[in-house]
Amino acid sequence: MNFQSKANKYVCPNDRQLSLRSKLRTGWSAARSEPPLTQNEREAIAAVVKRAEKVDEVEARRVGRLVSRLEGMRRSASGPAPRSCLLCGETSKLLAPLRTCSMCQNTACPKCVIDTPPHRSPIYSRDQYMCNLCAETREMWKKSGAWFFKSLPKYILPDRRATGRYNDTELAKSLQDAGNSSNEGKTDSEPGSPLSIHPPIFSRQPSNTDSRKSISSAKDHDWTETDILSHGVSGLSLHRTDSLNQRPLGLKRTGSKGSAYSLRSIRKEVPKPITQVERPPTIPDSGFGTLEIKLAYDNGTSSLAVTVLRARGLIGMDMTGLSDPFCRLEVIPREGTYSNRLRTKTVHKTKNPEFNETVHFFGITESDLSTKSLEILVFDDDKYGCDEMGSATVALRECLKSPAQLRLALSGASGTEPTGPRLLLALCYSTKRRALVVTMCRAAELPAQDSNGYSDPFVKLHLDPDPYHKKHKTSIKWRNLNPVWNEEFLFETRPTELSRQNLTVTVWDKDYGKPNDFLGSLVLGASSKGRRLKHWMDCIKFPDHRHEQWHSLTDTQHL
Amino acid sequence: MAKTYDYLFKLLLIGDSGVGKTSILFRFSEDAFNISFISTIGIDFKIRTIDLDGKKVKLQIWDTAGQERFRTITTAYYRGSMGIMLVYDVTNEKSFENIKNWIRNIEENASADVEKMILGNKCDLDAKRQVSKEQGEKLAIEYQIKFVETSAKDSLNVEYAFYTLARDIKAKMEKKQEASNPPGNRSGVHTLNDTDRKRQPTSWLARCSVL
Repeated sequence: MNFQSKANKYVCPNDRQLSLRSKLRTGWSAARSEPPLTQNEREAIAAVVKRAEKVDEVEARRVGRLVSRLEGMRRSASGPAPRSCLLCGETSKLLAPLRTCSMCQNTACPKCVIDTPPHRSPIYSRDQYMCNLCAETREMWKKSGAWFFKSLPKYILPDRRATGRYNDTELAKSLQDAGNSSNEGKTDSEPGSPLSIHPPIFSRQPSNTDSRKSISSAKDHDWTETDILSHGVSGLSLHRTDSLNQRPLGLKRTGSKGSAYSLRSIRKEVPKPITQVERPPTIPDSGFGTLEIKLAYDNGTSSLAVTVLRARGLIGMDMTGLSDPFCRLEVIPREGTYSNRLRTKTVHKTKNPEFNETVHFFGITESDLSTKSLEILVFDDDKYGCDEMGSATVALRECLKSPAQLRLALSGASGTEPTGPRLLLALCYSTKRRALVVTMCRAAELPAQDSNGYSDPFVKLHLDPDPYHKKHKTSIKWRNLNPVWNEEFLFETRPTELSRQNLTVTVWDKDYGKPNDFLGSLVLGASSKGRRLKHWMDCIKFPDHRHEQWHSLTDTQHL
Repeated sequence: MAKTYDYLFKLLLIGDSGVGKTSILFRFSEDAFNISFISTIGIDFKIRTIDLDGKKVKLQIWDTAGQERFRTITTAYYRGSMGIMLVYDVTNEKSFENIKNWIRNIEENASADVEKMILGNKCDLDAKRQVSKEQGEKLAIEYQIKFVETSAKDSLNVEYAFYTLARDIKAKMEKKQEASNPPGNRSGVHTLNDTDRKRQPTSWLARCSVL
């Protein structure tokens, strides 16, 4: 059994690993010498991984079709209203009385409901109906495999706007929804608005999106051509399974930017048109955008000057589809424990930032140039922590070549699953109880705050803004860094409200006689970014389903 | 979309090296058998679409290398699989004893609701048998896992095993959906008062009291 994959093999394994090892009778030594994989073996495995990605893509497209079908149904539904059908708007007739859906408690006409087989428990002896919308949602949950993975797997939407990379399209889609809902939210507050009883998910597409789309695709066009390139990024690793197959997709990303938020980005960028200087070639973009840098080495001071010029086509992270990118640069492998990390300033609200900033690495010898490389990570600057948006590695010997201006293709964030202190929580909007159900499942690798090497963690959570001012707390798990709570909390709210609210989760260490120690926090909601935003949007888009996801905790304490 | 399907189930075959995982998969996907032994490099998969109660189910079956040196790669595939077949060789007692280790390995790496099944392969070789059918059944009962003896060479019970596992996964899926409906019935620590129901307007018939 391999336990080294999880931890540094030179660090003493924890008790659990040791006890498992003893059961396996494979000995205590973690550092066993096994022959590394040969070149042929690597290639064989890479070929299988590539084949698997084709299957995954077919699957992602199929799930995308299911999702868009459901979205279409939602959009064309007339919305819940008293005494009329949820789906077709038909009013109650004597011969065809309206049925109540047992899932969402809305009324629908007999044409728009299906009979569900009578429930086994005696309480539900009368007939059960389910509206077509709930039935379809349920069917999708089954067909996509979400029932097993506890949240929707990655998908590619079938329409022409959505040929970008998985997350991008998902985000674009959810952003579009969010855009709709926030518009809707405004009309909601107007007195006497006929729309005020409709939750946002039922809103129809605004008719002017087409004109926006045409602007944006024209705008994006000059992009795609310059997006083809060719320069060394870090080698292909076996564990990163997503990037191989996405090249053809990445090239077709013309439309993925064009949706509800494109108008805004255009307005911002029109004053300074992108002037295309001659671009050195690099390898094809894998959908995470590109980065242009300039390298210059000075023999006299043995310093390396790295000028980060600009990035193009970064992925959108926040609600508006924009990001707040900055770059972190490091020369690897680093020497000793001293880390020489430099960062650029943050450029706010853009996917195409102009950094134009030079950073200097000192103490780089000429021999280093041939052995070391520069790693550049692009992060999204966020009040509640940083999310990685992409990375690129370039060998330092590149700076010796004459045009030291390079265009690098960024590859995706290294780990999709967060590491470090993290929290597993499930969100579910229950239309029946009209409340957001938050299940605090577990936490892992929490920092130790007490002198015994443990913490006594508990979680506080509240919704903001919340008219009921509800605050919840979990129980305290004594002396535990990987606590399991599985506790469920309810926040009464409406789906319309939900797209404007944030769920704030803070983890604390219980102490007697002195203030509790702060262990970490997490904000999920409309103003959060990346994974967290997607989790929140999935929860709004697919009510009555549990969406379970790990999130890393940040150590910033906010109110 | 040429061939579409209703569900995609990911299955995984694990077990010691040389027990016949690849042969079982080869028999199921191509209905053929190859006498020579070629050790699997890392991982491989085959696809077959089957029909279960009128639904098209696409099975993506991952075949893993039994060798220890590929363990890092193979364990990475545990998490995504919905069903796992544990294969041992009836002519090799060691491979049977190792099933316990494999189960522990699953508990450590796979998703908690994964469906499992034990296969005792090479049951055509009765002369060389070291593990009796009863022993296999006893182990299966101990872990509450389904068990069947198979032979990839004689095409015995291979189809049955895959169909059974797929059917079990499908049944679990239906059950999960059933459990989530209605969602209000799940027990929780905090439950809401039943005020929602009262807030709904009563029917106009009920309000009409005085004529």
